[in-house]
Amino acid sequence: MAPTLAFRLVAAVPLVFLVSLLAFGLVHLIPGSASETILGEGATPEAVAELDAELGLDRPLIEQYWNWASGAVRGDFGRSLVTSREVSDTLVERFPVTISVASGGLVVSLLIGVVGGTVAALRQGRLTDRLISLLTATGLAVPNFWVAVLLAFYFGVQRDWFPAIGYVGPTESLTQWIYHLILPSLALGLGSAAVIARQMRGGLLDVLDRPYVRAARAKGLRYRRVVIVHAMKNAFIPVITVVGFQASVMLGGAVLVEQIFGMPGIGVQVVGAVLAQDLPLVQGVVMVSAVAVILMNTLIDVSYAYFDPRVRLS
Amino acid sequence: MAVLRRVVTRPSGTIPLIWLAVVGFCALFPTVVATHDPNAADFASLLEGPSGAHYFGTDELGRDTFSRVVDAARPAALAGLQAVSISLILGLPIGLFVGYAGGWWDRIVMRVVDAIFSLPGLILAFAIVAILGPGLTNAMYSVGFLFSLRVIRLVRGMVLSVREEPFIEAARLSGAPTTTVLGRYLLPNMMGPLIVQTTISFAAVLIIEAALSFLGLGVQQPDATWGSMLRDARSFQRDNPWIPWPPGLAITLTVLAFNTLGDTLRDVLAAGPGGGSKAPRRGVALGLADGATTAARPAVDDTADPDPEALLSVRNLSVIVPTSTGPAPAVRGLDVDLRPGEIVGLVGESGSGKTVSALAVAGLLPRGVTIDPGSRIHFDGQQLVGLTEARMAQVRGTGIGMIFQDPTASLNPALTVGYQLAEPLRIHHGLSRAAATDRSVELLDRVGVANPRERLRDYPHQFSGGMAQRVMIAMALASEPSLIIADEPTTALDVTTQRQVLELLVELCDDLSMAMLFITHDLGVVAEICDRAVVMYAGQAVETGDVHELFATPDHPYSRALLASVPLLDDDEDRLVTIPGRVPGPGEQIVGCRFASRCEQAHDACAAGPVDLVTLAGGDRSSRCLLSAAAVEDGA
Repeated sequence: MAPTLAFRLVAAVPLVFLVSLLAFGLVHLIPGSASETILGEGATPEAVAELDAELGLDRPLIEQYWNWASGAVRGDFGRSLVTSREVSDTLVERFPVTISVASGGLVVSLLIGVVGGTVAALRQGRLTDRLISLLTATGLAVPNFWVAVLLAFYFGVQRDWFPAIGYVGPTESLTQWIYHLILPSLALGLGSAAVIARQMRGGLLDVLDRPYVRAARAKGLRYRRVVIVHAMKNAFIPVITVVGFQASVMLGGAVLVEQIFGMPGIGVQVVGAVLAQDLPLVQGVVMVSAVAVILMNTLIDVSYAYFDPRVRLS
Repeated sequence: MAVLRRVVTRPSGTIPLIWLAVVGFCALFPTVVATHDPNAADFASLLEGPSGAHYFGTDELGRDTFSRVVDAARPAALAGLQAVSISLILGLPIGLFVGYAGGWWDRIVMRVVDAIFSLPGLILAFAIVAILGPGLTNAMYSVGFLFSLRVIRLVRGMVLSVREEPFIEAARLSGAPTTTVLGRYLLPNMMGPLIVQTTISFAAVLIIEAALSFLGLGVQQPDATWGSMLRDARSFQRDNPWIPWPPGLAITLTVLAFNTLGDTLRDVLAAGPGGGSKAPRRGVALGLADGATTAARPAVDDTADPDPEALLSVRNLSVIVPTSTGPAPAVRGLDVDLRPGEIVGLVGESGSGKTVSALAVAGLLPRGVTIDPGSRIHFDGQQLVGLTEARMAQVRGTGIGMIFQDPTASLNPALTVGYQLAEPLRIHHGLSRAAATDRSVELLDRVGVANPRERLRDYPHQFSGGMAQRVMIAMALASEPSLIIADEPTTALDVTTQRQVLELLVELCDDLSMAMLFITHDLGVVAEICDRAVVMYAGQAVETGDVHELFATPDHPYSRALLASVPLLDDDEDRLVTIPGRVPGPGEQIVGCRFASRCEQAHDACAAGPVDLVTLAGGDRSSRCLLSAAAVEDGA
């Protein structure tokens, strides 16, 4: 499995390069230069030119890209135009929170999605199945930030079951970390749970009609074992693809949901940066999110090999 | 238009359309629907709950929530229209061009699209809003751009599949300019999927728009959008718990409506022209179904008892399958006996019911296919019909081994051969892991798989068809069965392998004194390995008897036709080319002999009433033919 992983990581490099071009290109789509943003309105052209030179903005584009990209590879995304704080400091401080929420959402969506989809498939056409299909349709339509607002209020404020606000790092207290993540993960995960449940139901129904499931039953295995051992693993293969898409959705959603629960993630920062056109921070967030998503998808590609041995050899 | 009518006649089309019409009306004429000025503060009634004066209550400035929700329909509709139009304006030409031009253009653009897709959509929208500045229109530009990528992918994919169609090629060869070909031939072909995609995009756009507004990156105060109302609601929930519900429900219901409408459109378009008119057909189907089941009730002697000396004794087996005209019997009153160690062939064309009979004996019928409760299947003295799934699993695991037609599809691709082989050994025989492995090696060795210990670690796709079938046979042997049911075990194999597998099966039956029910369409194989045979036609046994006698003097016209066609038997297709006509389906109502329509010797009496299976002069043979019945009476 290690060589596969290494190979996939190398294969992801061109994609990262392309994303870096896009992120870098952002700056140059903006009317005016970064220096104008820093100095504010009313800055003299001389002062702008001076700062341009200082920031290297008067150099050819290729050189600017090289400077930015070589810094980015080392984790140096420059300084915020607004606070002049190192962008990397902000990212290191705040991304783990966002990633925690996104991971929590993914766990919730997998748990609910896989169980819901499996139950629906095994009860195909019955009341339970129809109820689940109704729930998945609703789950796909409910905006996660509304769910977050409602959950925070009803379970965090009205009934003090879970914290409605705040975050505790896993190194500080593992149980508190999980405790604080429960409501945000639920709010974030329900929509993706619906997507996964639909895929799981379809995948399992497809697999249950395959000859090898009949052959497994022919061996005298109990139906429960046939479903869990022989059908689930195969039904999972299309689900994994969906999970890959959802990983990206989760990261975007976490930026939103974490703010509702007052968590010190990247969300508040990025919204502020967007409003202030603080591009180095926006670039940093875009790059780190892209790399996180690409890494996740690489892991998922590798996990195919576990579920589908035919992939392993090709 | 026909599509539209079919969408409207379904509740899953009507209800979303009604809701979207309501939202659309609010967007066009907000002042007609709204009861108050949506932006008028009223400090006398702050944060009130729902009442006659304020249907949905009031917010922190005393503004009427109902009127604000109604008023927010306009920005939502505008945002959706803007974003979706931009996505189409950008995506359609690019997708068409890239798909049609192909080559480097295609590769480069699609690579960039993939790169952008790897970013979380919301974060990308942030980046674009950062460039353009906040505001609803800018937010919608960014969302429109994002969704144009989906359109590019969809359109490109469709162009790629359509451009290979002969009529496009012909248009191109006839010298039509590229734009004509694209406009006249490609676009109409992709309207359907594009409409579905656009409908579903509307839903997604609404959610992103609401999210951006919620974050304060969309519409600026004081104008209401559903997203910004939710944002404001957060601070005042404690004083008025109602406050987040109306905007949240408005978003959810509208998104749900678009999604459901999209799904319905997809279903209707997939059904194709003329499809989808279910209601009248269902009525007809019920009428036919009643007739079919009553008419088909097999006229077999119900009093015939199972043979006590037989290992397997099947009496009056009827299997009901669903057909387009309702449930109908695919097997009609079959009787079969297998003594211990005996090999019996079940022969017939596709549609004769032979495989369904075999699956019924093993209790492995697909969902929706049922055994008529009047049937009896005695195995080892036990009645199998009506056993629970768990008891039936026990019987299969310890007494009956099954071998299927397609060995590579019958092995689980995700599990090693060793695991699949050891599984029944550990479950039914309680062997330890090590003992199960040793026994698996023995079994693989017994069926002729080379290097058995190493091959246990392999996956099914690493086995050839013949080797995979040997593994299946080993798996069937694992339960130490007294009966093997082999359903066309050699059909999927090449000719040389067929012979080896057949020889192996016969040898194993002899050595382990197992009985075998052998299902095949191949009379040659029956003659070679079976002791007795049952010839099936359209769900019924038409002739049974000792193989040598049956082959020497076939009695039933169908058996004779079948034998006559042996040399011309097409190996690739499970079909006999020399008997004109086709096997009647389970749902077809035939009062008389089911073979009569294809029989050269058919006469008027054949169609008059059901024909019974009669015992022939020899005593051990029977045939379902009026001619034979007459001959028996003459002889008696």
